[in-house]
Parts: sequence; structure tokens; C-alpha cells
Amino acid sequence: MSSTTSTFPDFLQPSAYRRKAEARIGRWAKARQGTDQSVTVLQSRRIYILPTGVGLVFGLMTFTMLLGSMNYNNNLSFVLTFLLVGIGFVAMHQCQRNLVGLEVAFAGVDPVFAGQVAEFRIAITNHSKNRRPHLQVYVGNTVSHIEDLEAGESRICNVEMPAERRGRISLDRFAIRTLFPFELFRAWAWLHMDLSGSVYPQPAAGAPEPPPTQTAHGHRQHDARGEEDFAGLRKFHVGDSPRHVAWKAYARTGDLLSKQFSGSDTSSQWFDFDQVPANDIEQRLSVLTRWIVDADRTQRDYGLRLPGEEFSPAHGDTHRHRCLEALAFFEEAS
Amino acid sequence: MSKRSGTDGSLLASLPWTLGALMFSILPHLPYLPPWVTAAFLGCSAWRWQVERKRWRLPPAWIRVMLALLCFIGVLASYESVSGVGPGSALLAVMAALKMLETKSRRDQFVLLFISIFLIMSSLLREQYLWSLPYLLAGVLFTMTAWLRMADVRKIVLMRSIGTGARLIAYALPLMIAMWVFFPRIATPFWAVPIDTGMASSGLSDRMSPGDISSLSLSNAVAFRVNFDGAVPPPKQLYWRGLVLYGFNGRTWTAGEFTIGSHAQSEIEYQGDPVSYQVTMEPTRQHWVLSLDVAFDWDREQQIFMASQHQLARMHPLDQRFSYELISYPSYRIDDHLSSYSKDFYTRLPAGSNPRTVALAKEMRKQAGSAEAFIKRVLRKFNTETFYYTLEPPPLGSDPVDRFLFDTRRGFCEHYASAFAVMMRAAGIPSRIVLGYQGGEMNPMGQYMIVRQADAHAWTEVWLPGRGWYRVDPTAAVAPERIEEGRYGAMRDGTGAGWGLNSPSEWLYRVTLTWDALNAQWNEWILAYGPENQGRFMEWLGMEEPDWQKMMLTLVTLIVVLVAIISAMIMMRYRPPQKDEAVRLYRKFIVAAGVEAARGETPLHLASRIGRDNATATGDADRITALYLDSRYGPPEPASLRQLQGAVEQFVQQR
Repeated sequence: MSSTTSTFPDFLQPSAYRRKAEARIGRWAKARQGTDQSVTVLQSRRIYILPTGVGLVFGLMTFTMLLGSMNYNNNLSFVLTFLLVGIGFVAMHQCQRNLVGLEVAFAGVDPVFAGQVAEFRIAITNHSKNRRPHLQVYVGNTVSHIEDLEAGESRICNVEMPAERRGRISLDRFAIRTLFPFELFRAWAWLHMDLSGSVYPQPAAGAPEPPPTQTAHGHRQHDARGEEDFAGLRKFHVGDSPRHVAWKAYARTGDLLSKQFSGSDTSSQWFDFDQVPANDIEQRLSVLTRWIVDADRTQRDYGLRLPGEEFSPAHGDTHRHRCLEALAFFEEAS
Repeated sequence: MSKRSGTDGSLLASLPWTLGALMFSILPHLPYLPPWVTAAFLGCSAWRWQVERKRWRLPPAWIRVMLALLCFIGVLASYESVSGVGPGSALLAVMAALKMLETKSRRDQFVLLFISIFLIMSSLLREQYLWSLPYLLAGVLFTMTAWLRMADVRKIVLMRSIGTGARLIAYALPLMIAMWVFFPRIATPFWAVPIDTGMASSGLSDRMSPGDISSLSLSNAVAFRVNFDGAVPPPKQLYWRGLVLYGFNGRTWTAGEFTIGSHAQSEIEYQGDPVSYQVTMEPTRQHWVLSLDVAFDWDREQQIFMASQHQLARMHPLDQRFSYELISYPSYRIDDHLSSYSKDFYTRLPAGSNPRTVALAKEMRKQAGSAEAFIKRVLRKFNTETFYYTLEPPPLGSDPVDRFLFDTRRGFCEHYASAFAVMMRAAGIPSRIVLGYQGGEMNPMGQYMIVRQADAHAWTEVWLPGRGWYRVDPTAAVAPERIEEGRYGAMRDGTGAGWGLNSPSEWLYRVTLTWDALNAQWNEWILAYGPENQGRFMEWLGMEEPDWQKMMLTLVTLIVVLVAIISAMIMMRYRPPQKDEAVRLYRKFIVAAGVEAARGETPLHLASRIGRDNATATGDADRITALYLDSRYGPPEPASLRQLQGAVEQFVQQR
């Protein structure tokens, strides 16, 4: 499976006019079809078909051949011409049928940071007893080739979409299309599923120092981890102080391990929106994101305090996601 | 591998198929193409393939432009024209060769495949043999398979591409047949483009110089075929009138332009019984139309007319095989009215040519007394003196008639006809030469007559007052058996000589005739399917007064129905697979047992439930469940499925 923007020759590449027209037709199709379930089986009435550039040339060619055959009253030329016309008819129906009955399902999208590319996973399943060749998933002018789906085969196709701003990213419309068998026709089905994912704010590049760690008792401590009691070893994370690396263990096993001290168990950080040294809201969110990402990497407990919302100190993926999502949708109307 | 950017090898999977399809399409052109075109095509194919394999670079644009110009000039030089099938196919071949040199993407390959289809098309314009149909089907399959190979970016199994191509073509076949039968044919072409096939046309020519030809090739090529409605006339009546030569320059007889003889037919007095028949002429690219001497009635809608000398001709040359129906009267009389101008015209001889012949004729005319007696004397001269009928006469120099009559005395029909006509003219009797065919061979396999180029014949017509124009065949005086028996009594012994067989070969003769019968059927049913045959076929199908609107309406209806059927057939291919046979049997068992499986209930649990509810069924339920699990999840074995089937049927019957 590959995802590319221009594997198509220029003459198959939709022009600006066609994109506009497609968008309009797409809106019309949405009004006609409504929003789709997250698992949808393509029905024939929602599959559209148009000849491709190659198909138009093919049609022109057969028309020329028909004129030639009529002019010479050449019956074998008629045979050839009509065979090609017949192939055109068959290709049109084969092309449309190649999509009918295909199951399209949304398989999720992972949250990303702004500036990254969100990957919507679309699962396409062929429930029929025959192969469905030459399928594509199509968004805007991005074509993802799925190629062939064997009978009963299911495959996941990633539709990439650049996430520019924090908040919600949604894929309003995508199309499943096919050019099988001879690229004479292009059949497609618009799908309007409720597909959306979260885009976290972009982590600030040069973020100020995070606020100091507090112990559970409340008194301030400058070092993030207590060094009194050795508690054990854990895997080295980037950012760990070289002083805490268990060099002896490294020499023995080859694994980089960090020493953990019991003092860290009770320590936690509070990231407070109001106390971020920045003026701009986006900048503050960005800094908070950076702090959370860094804190999560070192598996420290951290809490997040936003105007009107508070997450008590904890760690783990769920906590991280909750915090980052709160930042993503902070003061967003959506 | 070059360090500069060469080809990326992305066409490795599809290119051999595209090139192969092109080569297959060019095959029937090879005998006609100039050798340099063939060489250029093959060379470019090989080079392009190497380029793809070795990741070389394609030649730069200026070289390609230069080559294109050179090739165009080359075609122009070879054919002195760029229109017509010959130069057209050469241009297509050259275009394909040049296109290969710039083929980088799939788009370029589309162009190559379009050229491939046009090559097949142009080969059909050139010749339409019996094998052309399977050839064109194979060519389309080849091209469409190449098309599929190109569209499939991922390499897939070759047999799959061929299978898909064959399947789609098979779906298209009924549509093709429907369109072929019902698409209205038109009689007149939109524009006339000469179809020169690059082959010298054998057969009749509108000039005759007996002294020039030293050997008449006996071509076995078919000139035309005849279907008689009734009895076949005897060989001595089978004079097929083609064209009439009347201008003579001392050496060569020529025919003038065809002129519509508005009174030609009114001059004829038809006698005896008519002969009704249908002629299918092979294309001649000439205007004359053959008829049994002399024609009475013919298909008036086919632009056939009777020319001044009672021969038939057609407005358009016969570029295609041409069928027409005729009625002729082998016995006839032509009115003896001839203007003095015409009398002078038909007795004209160039002054001073063939002096000995002229002198001899004048002498014999004086001795004979009457014109009739003179004609008899001349024929008796050919008959009694030592003249030989030979197909390989010596060449004649100046005054060829003199040389033939007095020195060589060897010749074939043309020599005798020419000498006879010159003698008549010298004696003041109007005469002219008729070219056509004499005789014909009945094909016992198809009950029709084949007339071959070897049956070409020349005879004379003379005009006498009170008698009009009538036929005199001087060759009959020399070699009467040629006329009386036809050529075929002797020919049969020689069949097979061309294949290097010496002994008479009865079966080869039969094979030849059977093949010809097949070809005749092919011509009659497929190639001759024009406006008339289509109209007749429509009437036979029950269409009343067929016209193009009715045919189009029928065609559209048929296409809609066929497309619906094809669409349904394609849909069947995308059905979900059949439920497992074991599942089907197990369902049957559950229904018969009268229980309803709860959601997520395992077969074993269900079996125990059935046992609880109905103690008598315990054994059966356990056995069927075990068999079901065995055949569904065990190794695939038809035996266990059969056992399950037996057990379920037994269980159902007990209930």
C-alpha cells in the first residue's frame, strides 16, 4: 500500500475546475445520502461513474473506426469496432460492480500534535467470493492505492491529512474508487462518515523551565527526584540525568538503566495555565503541552490546572490524553 | 547502469505485453511493409526493451524528431502517397516504433495500445480471409490483456490477466453480434479512398497485346463464384462477358471509356430460355461486371448499367467483394443496324501494319465470295493448318499478327482472337474482341460454380448485315476441347503439383474444394452482409419493411436487454460466498429438532439441551453435532460431509 499525491499521469489528474465540480457534487451527494454509519456497505445507487480521459479517447477511436467500417462496408472492421464498443459497455458495468457490496469502515485515527499528519484508518473489506482489483481511496487529490482485495480480504488504508491547528480534525468526505478493468471508466462512492480526531497543540520548541516539583507534603524541592533512598532500576529515558544511570549495570548487561529513588514517588508537578510565563493563549497551551510531554516521558506525576478545569496529578497514557485533549479543545467552540 | 537518470524500470512488468501485442497486430502487415519499416519496428522494440531492462536513457527529443521526419519521408518515398491502406499501415508501424522511443509512462503505453488496435483494423481493410476473424479476436484479447497488465500496478499472475481479459471479451461478444447484425448498413460510401493492397491485380486488363506476353500464368485465384437458380448451362454456353476491346494500333487492343449504351439493350432480341443466377465477384478495382452472354435483367439498385457493347459495368470500381443477381439469355440476336460511322470504326486498322495478314485476308475474301464463306475459311485455316494452342508462345516482334500467322503459329486465345479480328477488319467486316471468362468448375461441396483467373478467355465478335453482332471463337477452331469440356477434365490430374505431389491426388482435390466451399459460405454470409442481405435477413427475422429506424430501435432494445443480463452476470460474481454446506445441513438439523439456538450458544451446548428436552434424540444429536464439528472444523474431507448429510437426512425423516 502506498500513499502518494501524483502517481497519476497529468491527464488523469483532476483539474481545479473538476475539483470544484466534485466538491459541489459531493455536497449534493451528502444531501442525498445523509451521513453514513461508521460501517457502510456500498450500494449501487450511491456509486457514480464517469469515463476517464483514456475512456474518452477510446470512445473517439471506436467512433472513427465505425465511420471507417461504414465507409468501406467492411464487415470484419464492423466486428472489431463492435467488439470494442461491447468491451466498453462491459467495462462500464464491471467498473461499477467492482465497488457494489464493498464494506467500508472507520478504524480510528490516533491523536496528533498540530503540524503533524493525522492518519485516518479506513478498513475496506471484500465480502464477495471474487477478487476486487484496482481499488483506491481518494481524498481531495490524494490517492491511496489499495490495489487488489482478494475474496474475503480486509485491508486498512491510511488517509493522511495534515493537522494544522489544535482542536478537532475531521474528514468530511472521502471516496472509494476504482478504475478496473481498463481505466476507461472511473467509478466512485462518496462517503460522509462522522470521522474526527484530536489535534493536540504543538509542543513549544524553546519552552521555559517547568515549575518545580512539590512533594506530597507540600514543601518545595528543587530536584525533581529525591536522592535519599534507592528504590530500584528502570529503563533509561531521554532526559534522565547521567548521574542516575546505573553504569555498573550497563557494563554488565549492556542495557541503559536509571536508578530510581523513593523520593520521587511522592513528588508531583502542577502545570498551571495562569502561571505559564507567556502572554498569548496559544503560546501558553503550547508550553503546557511541552511540559506534559516531557513529564510523561519521565513518568512523573503531573497535574494540569486550566481556568475552570483541573486534572489532579497522575501519569500514564490515559491521563496524558485527557490533559492534552483538554488543551486541544481549550476555549474552542467546537 | 547509468548514473544519469535512466528509466526507472517501472514498466518492466507491462512493457513486454504492450510490445508483444503490437508485434501480434503487425504480423499480417509484414508481407506488404517495406523491409525498412519492419526493421525499424523490430529494432525499436528490441531497443526499448533493453532500455527498460538495463535502465538506459531514452534518446533525446531532437533525435526523435529527426527520426520522425526521416520515417515520414521514407514512407512518402516508398509509396509516393500517404493515403490508402498501404502507406497508412506503414505510417502506423512507424508511429508505433517512434512512440516506443519516448514511452516513459503508462499514458504512453495507452497510445501504443491504441496504435495496436488501429493496426488490426487496417489489416482488415486490406484482406478479410476466413482466418481473419479468429486473428482479430486473438489480437483484441492480446491487446486487452496488455491493457490489464498495464493497469495493474502490482504484479499479478499472468493467467489471471488473460482470464479477466477473456471473460470481459466473452461478455462483449453477444453485444458485438447484436450490433453487427442490426447496425444499419449503408450502400454508398461517404468518401472514396482507394484501397490499394499493394498486390498486382491478376485477371482481366483493359488492354491486350498478344505479342508481348510470352507466358500466361495460370492463376488458380478465384475470379468469381456463381450460384445458378436452375440448371447449369453446358460449358459451350458459358461465355462470361467482361469488357470489349475495339481500338487497335497494330499491336495492342484497347477498350475505351465505358459509355452508357442507352440503346444497347433495345438492340438485343432475346431467344430461348433465360438463365437466372447470382455472381459474387472478387474485388478487381475495375468497373466491369461479368455476365453470362448476354444479360437481360439485373439488380438496378447496384449502379450497374449496360455499356454500348452490351457488356455490364458499374459506376464505382469494385473495391469490395461484390454480389449481384442476373438473368441472361444464352441465345440471342443483336439487331443488324450499324451506322456507317460505326462500321468504319470497327474496321479501322493502322495503315501499313501487319501487311502480310491484310493481304492474305483480302485475297481470301475475294476467293470466298461471301462474308460468311470467308469467316468459315479463316476458321478452317486455323483448324486444318498446323496451329498449336499453347500457353507459352514465343514472343512476337514487330507486326505481331504477321509473325503469328505466318511464322510461329503458336499461341493462346488472345493470339487467335487478335489474328481473327485483324483479318476480319482487313476484309471490311466489323469486328471486336471480347475479354471475359469461359467455363467454370462446379464445386460439388457447395453446389456453386467457381470461375478462376485461369479461365480468362478472349474471343471475337463480328458484324454481318442481316445477322448483327455475333460471337466467333477462333480458339474453339484450334482447341475445341477447351471449350467443349472446359479446362477441368485435365486439371484434376494436375492438382497437387503445386505442393510437390506428382500423382493424381483425389483427396487433395477434395480438400481444396471443401476449403473453397467454406470460403464461399464465409463470403456469402459474413463479408457480403450489406444493405441488401441485411434487409433480406431482417425480413426473414420477421421485420416488416425493414428500414434503419426499425433496425436501430431493435438494436437499442437488444443492447439494453443484453447489458442488463451482463450486469447481472457480473453481479453474480461479486456475491458473498455460499454458506458452508455443513452449516446448511446443521441448520436443517436444528429446525427439525424444533429448538432455537440462542445467541452465542455452542453446538455442544445445544446438543445437550436437545438431549435434555427430548431423551430419544440424544444419540442422534450427539452424533450429528460431532459430525458437524468434524466436517466444519476438521481437515477438509468429503467423506465426513457425506456422513453428516446421511445422518441429518435420517434424523429429518424420523421426525
